[in-house]
Amino acid sequence: MLSTEHGAIARIWNWRITAFCGLILFLVAIAAVSFGPIEISFFKVFKTIFDLPGASTGINRTVILELRLPRVILGILVGAALATSGAVYQTVFHNPLADPYLLGAASGAGLGATIAITSTHHNLSGALPIFAFLGGVLAVLTSFFISGKFFADPNSLLLSGIAVGSFATAIQTYLQQRHSAALRPVYSWILGDLTNASWSVVAWSAIYIAIALVILFSVAKQLDGLMLSDEEAYSLGINPKRLRIIAVAAATLATATAVSASGLIGFVGIVVPHLVRGLTHRVTNRSLITIAMAGAAFLVLADLGARTLLSPAELPIGVITAFVGAPFFLVVLRNRRKVSQ
Amino acid sequence: MSIVVCDLTVRYGEKVVLDDLSLEIAHGKWTCLVGPNGAGKTTFLKVLLGMAPYSGSIQDNGVEVFKSHNRNVAFVPQHPQIPQGMTVAEYVMLGRSKKDGWGNESLASRSYVHKVLTQTNLFGMQDNLVTHLSGGEMQRALIARALAQQPELILLDEPTSALDLHHQISVLNNIELLKESGVTVISTMHDLTLAALFAEQLVVLKAGKVLLSGDSQVVIHSSELKKAYDNRIDVYTLDSGRSVIVASKYDT
Repeated sequence: MLSTEHGAIARIWNWRITAFCGLILFLVAIAAVSFGPIEISFFKVFKTIFDLPGASTGINRTVILELRLPRVILGILVGAALATSGAVYQTVFHNPLADPYLLGAASGAGLGATIAITSTHHNLSGALPIFAFLGGVLAVLTSFFISGKFFADPNSLLLSGIAVGSFATAIQTYLQQRHSAALRPVYSWILGDLTNASWSVVAWSAIYIAIALVILFSVAKQLDGLMLSDEEAYSLGINPKRLRIIAVAAATLATATAVSASGLIGFVGIVVPHLVRGLTHRVTNRSLITIAMAGAAFLVLADLGARTLLSPAELPIGVITAFVGAPFFLVVLRNRRKVSQ
Repeated sequence: MSIVVCDLTVRYGEKVVLDDLSLEIAHGKWTCLVGPNGAGKTTFLKVLLGMAPYSGSIQDNGVEVFKSHNRNVAFVPQHPQIPQGMTVAEYVMLGRSKKDGWGNESLASRSYVHKVLTQTNLFGMQDNLVTHLSGGEMQRALIARALAQQPELILLDEPTSALDLHHQISVLNNIELLKESGVTVISTMHDLTLAALFAEQLVVLKAGKVLLSGDSQVVIHSSELKKAYDNRIDVYTLDSGRSVIVASKYDT
């Protein structure tokens, strides 16, 4: 590895990696729109999306703009949200196994969704995303509240997150037992999918996820200071308590939005940050934008697999993310150990 | 100029950790806080960092500590949180954040880190992970990060506690190096012999109060120092004129 140049140490982060990831994401996104039961050429897709001469017309145009494009964009948003939140949680909690669902966001959202599905009096399925979002945010707020308002100790938040999560899961299980007809829709929601992507879903999730990501990207460099003790962080000029609250709040907003738009898609939040860090041998949070783009590309690819492998049937996307992610992850971990020895 | 502490009191809930402290710490010198566990040494360092709420006044160059966010104070902790997966270069580079802003990777910044790594004998290890450093190397990495910070004031909490005798001296020499660049050094140290050997000024703390502060050679032979340790220490003067302080086996 290049470590010095002209009496100076090498740059920590190489922005060419970020640019490369951006290019990959762009190509994956175009490919995901062009593949499917109706094959549309790469160039046609490109022209149609950017409204250039030679764009598709008729049914193909509808397939591209109304079916596949919103789905791909939702995949980008959800993938970026989950991967970035995962990376931020891992830094804040000094825990490489932290994932975006850690503070009860998943169980809370699951409970919200179960309430929406099992509610027999009214047809609430349309309101499912709202219930899931509220459930996720409420669960995390409860964790915050229990752990003490100053959030002095990250471990206490972690523990209260686990307690709140277990409590929400218990209620959820009870509701499911009472309403056994709801088991199937609840479980298919828990496995996660992007099938209800529409422009309106894309629009509202884009707003929340964009706000969260802009906040996280703007504090990304300071987040490296949270990898140290609070005293060290202070001496480097950051207020660790305030920064932790900002980071966790933004990451939770992104996660809750992602969960309410697409259910629980596991593994992205853990695998993608470690993949990027493992491949670049850099843990710095300067890589946060790159992690976001890699997460987006990973999820769009996984969704492409989910809807084409057993076509016309669809696989739950969580199955693909775990099936592809786990072995890949193990290879990276193995190589990482070799390098560090 | 100096750091002037006046009626400083720090409470954690009901507990008074620092009780009405008043003292003066000279700039450009090495001042060492000594005293038994629980005397309030580390708390005093936290106050100087600006992270512990206090009453009374503590002025650095005439500016109240908690009001000045631009002070460049380096901190070398006793138990650092060692970040997983971070290389020595990244770790030392963090020290530049106060000087150049977070994530600034200008050539000047990287040259400075290069220089600091050479100074602390870490050059060649810059791509090693900090989690794989030995105790002595980690201590040097901490000092390197503090050097990279180009601080006005450096605080060291028990800089020698985890090191063997050889590394203790090498780290203390590195701190002397820091001092030569005009930095004010404030440390805590349990080893009174080393404290008397390296520090110019000693502050004796016990149960949150200052028993005595002043020139280290005066303090080391004072009755207040013995009092701080309940008269359970013996002070010997060697032929070379150096003082050696050891724990007494019996009450004296």
